[in-house]
Amino acid sequence: MAKVNGVVANGVFASAKPEKLIIDTDPGIDDSMAILMAFQTPEVEILGLTTVFGNVSTEDATRNALLLCELAGRPDIPVAEGSPEPLKGGKPRVADFVHGSDGLGNTYFSPPNAEKSVKGAAEFLVDKVSEFPGEVSVLALGPLTNVALAIKRDSSFASKVKKIVVLGGAFFALGNVNPAAEANIYGDPEAADVVFTSGADIVVVGINITTQVKLTDADLTELRQSKGKYAELICNMCKFYRDWHVKSDGVHGIFLHDPVSFVAVVRPDLFTYRKGVVRVETQGICVGHTLMDQGLKRWNTSNPWTGYSPVAVAWTVNVEGILAYIKKQLTKP
Amino acid sequence: MTPKKIIIDTDPGIDDAMAIFLALRSPEVEVIGLTTIYGNVYTTLATMNALHLLEVAGRTDIPVAEGSHVTITKGTKLRIADFVHGSDGLGNQNFPPPSGKAIKQSAAEFLVEQASLHPGEVTVVALGPLTNLALAIELDPAFAKNVGQIVLLGGAFCVNGNVNPASEANVFGDPEAADIVFTSGADVVAVGINVTHQVVLTDADREKLANSNGKFAQYLCKIMGIYYSYHHDAYSTRGVYLHDPTTVLAAVNPSLMTYTEGVVRVQTVGITRGLTILYNKQKRFEEVTEWSDKPTVKVAVTVDAPAAVKLIMDRLMES
Repeated sequence: MAKVNGVVANGVFASAKPEKLIIDTDPGIDDSMAILMAFQTPEVEILGLTTVFGNVSTEDATRNALLLCELAGRPDIPVAEGSPEPLKGGKPRVADFVHGSDGLGNTYFSPPNAEKSVKGAAEFLVDKVSEFPGEVSVLALGPLTNVALAIKRDSSFASKVKKIVVLGGAFFALGNVNPAAEANIYGDPEAADVVFTSGADIVVVGINITTQVKLTDADLTELRQSKGKYAELICNMCKFYRDWHVKSDGVHGIFLHDPVSFVAVVRPDLFTYRKGVVRVETQGICVGHTLMDQGLKRWNTSNPWTGYSPVAVAWTVNVEGILAYIKKQLTKP
Repeated sequence: MTPKKIIIDTDPGIDDAMAIFLALRSPEVEVIGLTTIYGNVYTTLATMNALHLLEVAGRTDIPVAEGSHVTITKGTKLRIADFVHGSDGLGNQNFPPPSGKAIKQSAAEFLVEQASLHPGEVTVVALGPLTNLALAIELDPAFAKNVGQIVLLGGAFCVNGNVNPASEANVFGDPEAADIVFTSGADVVAVGINVTHQVVLTDADREKLANSNGKFAQYLCKIMGIYYSYHHDAYSTRGVYLHDPTTVLAAVNPSLMTYTEGVVRVQTVGITRGLTILYNKQKRFEEVTEWSDKPTVKVAVTVDAPAAVKLIMDRLMES
């Protein structure tokens, strides 16, 4: 039986020691699902959440992250606020038309009681990774600004972090911001290029993978009627998100971008991967485009992909296996 | 049925030579001219080779109009693929220079004139960088409407390029010109390397060509050595890609391929300069994009590769 990161292929953890995980997030409805799933997963130990702009502003992401920890009964989890803007500066693009003005599907919770960490996101990432070198994985669900800042802050971060699982990019597929670019990478293309070329152990899950995994209207109804600890909460948030999918993609249901990426942390065996150097375009009409060299040709001259470490790009996905896993986590009482 | 009038815009080039011979052997089309461009070789040599190939074929009645020596933005730093086609573009065979000469008109002028003489009837088959076509579009605002169809070899749709991971050679040769052509509103059919990489002439096929009595087959086998060794080294394939002949087939027998329709834009800056992005309108975007409100083109998505290879070989062996 193949062993992948302490997980055996049938999904039972061989090691009792949970995987240390920091989730970098811009909650966000599907972020919330991924975070609540993570809290329902004993195989991971959440060291903290770091926040970033994307689905909402960084400030709102911090508020929502604190709220989610409280709703999950884990107000002790540190929430470290990240950068309010991309590396190159300027007001970030915020996808409130997807996630509602509060980022949680316009459910308007009252503000959280807990306070954010005194540390910033990049500092928190660097400190935790240095404290447990080779043990901490990062799940990056938004633009990669904080991770890039951590890499810039500490030159040993890339080698000390166990793994970075990135939700981002559209590999040989249409983007979702425009035909060339996916939203997380588009949010900070410079940061994404820093991360992909950092030499860290990276797994990228693009929307070419995540858009294959949907919860249909029927699935959502089933979830609502389940005894899942967060089922009702999630279903309430999902209303707004689901209506946007109908309008944007003609999908009666929702894409599970962030939950699928979380599954790549705990059940990497549910995907196949191809390795190649990934670069991000930072200029022109294709700004934010992720381009992977598949290694099918020997180039006769060097090019912008030459000399960088390859990353693992999720290539295929076991859709049924992932849906079953996600449903199991979300319907857990 | 009267044959379709075609002008081949070309940078010969080993597979260009094959494409030109294929067109001359195809009753569905009538070649009314060749226009030349840099790419596999510099433009001057492309003109010499075009004249030479017509002399080999005994078709010196077909005019050759020389095209641009620089890109649409007047760029002179051209990428020339002599390592694929040989320094003479025809497999280093040291053929004697042609006796014929190019006509006085430039390629762009010739394209504009023929399109307006036969509105809606002339198909341009573009096998190199798209500078001449972009110049024709700039020269005559009616060209895009007058030209029947532009069938072009260019782009890498949802696959890696062949110059670098982002870009295909013809589009990389003049990305600005390619973007002008794709967004011109002309009836454009783009055949990218995602399709032409499926059409492979194997070592065994080459043997078959060599053993035939076809004049063109014989000639091509003589010049193809360097093209084969390049493919063996770069791709580890036991055969060569038939980029240009496949593109001619899209004019000769369009039913060998299937197509999708959408807006194609070309990235002109940055590390992905020359990247072609097709938007086929499956998804609606929240914001206005650089693909919004632009004319659509057809992009080849599948090809009946065995039928394509057979048709190409049959016609070259019958010659």
